[in-house]
Amino acid sequence: MLSNRKFALKMCFFSLVRRRSRLLIALIGASIGASVLLGLVTLCYDIPKQLSREFRSYGANMVFVSKQVAQRLTRGEAEKILALLPPSRLVGLTPLRYETVRSNMLPYTAVGLDFEEIKKTSPFWHLTGSYPNKGGQLLIGVDVSEATSLAPGQSMTLTGRNSKNERYEKDFTVSGVVSTGGVEDGFIFISLADMELATKEAGAIDILEASLTADGGPLEEIKNKVENSLDTVEVKMVTRVTRSEKTVIAKLTFLVYIVSAVVLSLSTICVSTTMMTVVLERRGEIGLKKALGAESKSVAGEFLLEGLLLGLIGGFFGALGGLGFAALVSKSVFGRSFTPEFHLVPATMLVMAIVAVIASMIPVKRAVNAEPALALRGE
Amino acid sequence: MFWKMIKGSFFIRRRAHLLTALTVALGVSLAAALLGVMFDIGDKVNKELKSYGANLNAVPKGASVIGALYELGDIGQSEMAIKNNYILEDELYKIKMIFWAYNIVDFAPYLTVKVKAEGFPTSLIGSWFNKSLDLPTGEKVVTGMDNLKSWWVLEGERVDERDIRGILVGRELANKLNLKLGSTIKVTPEVIIEGEGNQSSEPEVLTVRGIFESGGDEDDTIFASLILAQKIASKPGLVERVEISALTTPDNELARRAAQNPGSLSRLEWDTWYCTAYISSIAYQIEEILPSVRVKPILKVAQSEGAILEKTELLIILLTVLTLGCASLAISNLVTANIMERSVEIGLLKALGATNISVSVLFLAETLLAALAGGVLGYVVGLALSQLVGLTVFGSYIAVKPLVIPLALLMVIFVTLLGSLPALKALTSLKPAEVLHGR
Repeated sequence: MLSNRKFALKMCFFSLVRRRSRLLIALIGASIGASVLLGLVTLCYDIPKQLSREFRSYGANMVFVSKQVAQRLTRGEAEKILALLPPSRLVGLTPLRYETVRSNMLPYTAVGLDFEEIKKTSPFWHLTGSYPNKGGQLLIGVDVSEATSLAPGQSMTLTGRNSKNERYEKDFTVSGVVSTGGVEDGFIFISLADMELATKEAGAIDILEASLTADGGPLEEIKNKVENSLDTVEVKMVTRVTRSEKTVIAKLTFLVYIVSAVVLSLSTICVSTTMMTVVLERRGEIGLKKALGAESKSVAGEFLLEGLLLGLIGGFFGALGGLGFAALVSKSVFGRSFTPEFHLVPATMLVMAIVAVIASMIPVKRAVNAEPALALRGE
Repeated sequence: MFWKMIKGSFFIRRRAHLLTALTVALGVSLAAALLGVMFDIGDKVNKELKSYGANLNAVPKGASVIGALYELGDIGQSEMAIKNNYILEDELYKIKMIFWAYNIVDFAPYLTVKVKAEGFPTSLIGSWFNKSLDLPTGEKVVTGMDNLKSWWVLEGERVDERDIRGILVGRELANKLNLKLGSTIKVTPEVIIEGEGNQSSEPEVLTVRGIFESGGDEDDTIFASLILAQKIASKPGLVERVEISALTTPDNELARRAAQNPGSLSRLEWDTWYCTAYISSIAYQIEEILPSVRVKPILKVAQSEGAILEKTELLIILLTVLTLGCASLAISNLVTANIMERSVEIGLLKALGATNISVSVLFLAETLLAALAGGVLGYVVGLALSQLVGLTVFGSYIAVKPLVIPLALLMVIFVTLLGSLPALKALTSLKPAEVLHGR
């Protein structure tokens, strides 16, 4: 038994070494099949997440306001909300505070916010100039800029009255002009810190807007979690963004699945035809072995073992290639790095080995059943 | 002799040729399906993204600068001022007559009036729900906000355009006023404007047809027909803003430069820009046809659309290339197997004095014929397959692009030739004596 197994391995080894070029083709076939398999499986797993990130360019999909009428959120509540949001899904969280101010006697709406966060939650802002990087700078909407003919670098004085009816006044420098095509075009944006400094009122926020990579169920879960833990906070979903995102992402993901299934089936067929060629080429050898007295079973076993080895080796190299392919797609299409899932490598090797064995089975069966004499004569 | 041999080979080796044809058919069908999907994916995804609402906002030239900011009263305005602050409803059909008219999916005008509903101050927004327009070209177009606000959750029914007294009420306002479907409310203008031609001091009695939830500020307002809003505001034939939803091409460098200043382009660049459905060129064309209007892209929608479109297209192109690669590898293996099986025949031909070239040509011709037959079959199957994808994923048919046919043909020839190369190499190095001897 032992010597038999040793013999079989020896035969396999020599057959693999002696027929290098064929072997190479089969290996390449199996590797490509495995690359495609692992690459696509990884992508299918990754694409909904990546697309969800892409859709965050539509802006915030969840907003938090105070439940009481005409009440503002406090900074403490904002911090509690931040602690409740899952960090892995949070793209950005912007506090917004609205005040009516005057400049040159004309009324404007001033928004106090965090410029670092607004870049994340509203990536669609088109800016001429730059974001403020220190206190005393502000952004103006394009309509305000046109009406006042203010440009980046010029100064603007804002005046107003706080809730205690005390008058305040503060000088700012315009650092950039925002255009969005929406209501933002008519607003003035200053940092929340500046607004608190000017009005001498700190800690109040009108709206907290969050951009989360989640749709449907998970988003609903987050909403419930926040509402259950904080009873003074009202959570609203931006239906326009969430509903559309759900349908569009579902369709796109489905499309990628279908296409991947198509490519996968084709790559499996490709591996099969390669294995068939390899076996077909060696009908003479099979005939010789049978003529020398080998049993059909052991001959077939040898070939299937060879297929298994090819599948495993090809699967291994292919799996590495597949991870590379997925990384490449992730980088070139979505411009983001991705974390390879190495535990998928053995699974890919196994699938490839099974495909190779099944693919060899048909021609091996045919060759084994043929008359040795006919095969040896070369017909 | 050549054709006779090919005919003979097809007759004798039906199975092998059938297998080649089938593999090619499979490869081509999948590739043709993917190519078909690839060419149409832009339009399809674009239509899906329309669910985010309008991507262009048209406002009167005067209003875009001052109107919204200073909330100027309308009292005592000259005709000129009215023209500057409003858009004429009668001119709106022209939007459907620009160069890229086909790409304008929907548009709807709006007129907001401050009103008192049952004594409660709120805004009434007049609009088209599903207005049918007759264009001078004889075409009929149905447009309005029904399609523009597809994310609204509506309880009840949509309002028919002819139903002047039917309204949609936002969820928050409905809760405040305790309104149900079918209830009626009395609406009066907030400020009664003194002056001639003003008969609207009588309250309007309106019926609630539907209650909507938009998740935005609209939840606190009333949507009514445009005619009613114009009557309450005493602004017959005027609208203050138009939302337009257009299918666009993602912006590139040229479009960005053009958006800054169309004048900076060279003649050729300008033509390219004008004849491409960039959001900026569509906005420009609407401004051309309606000179008193300023059209602004809603960047939130427009930019995201561009980014998502680009990414999806790139993804599908990558997958298509992958399919083509796999298909050519599969075909290559089959051709090699075919030649190996027939090594004795080749040896005999060579022993009888055939040159390498003539044997290669013979084999190539055979394989190509089988491949072409498979390719035709594959194209037809691929067409069906792409429609299947279109129907299951997007619920609509994929446009059949004639460009796919030459591409598929080229692909068949290229893939077969490339796939036959290793086999041809084996064929030329084959020694007649050895194979005839049976080794």
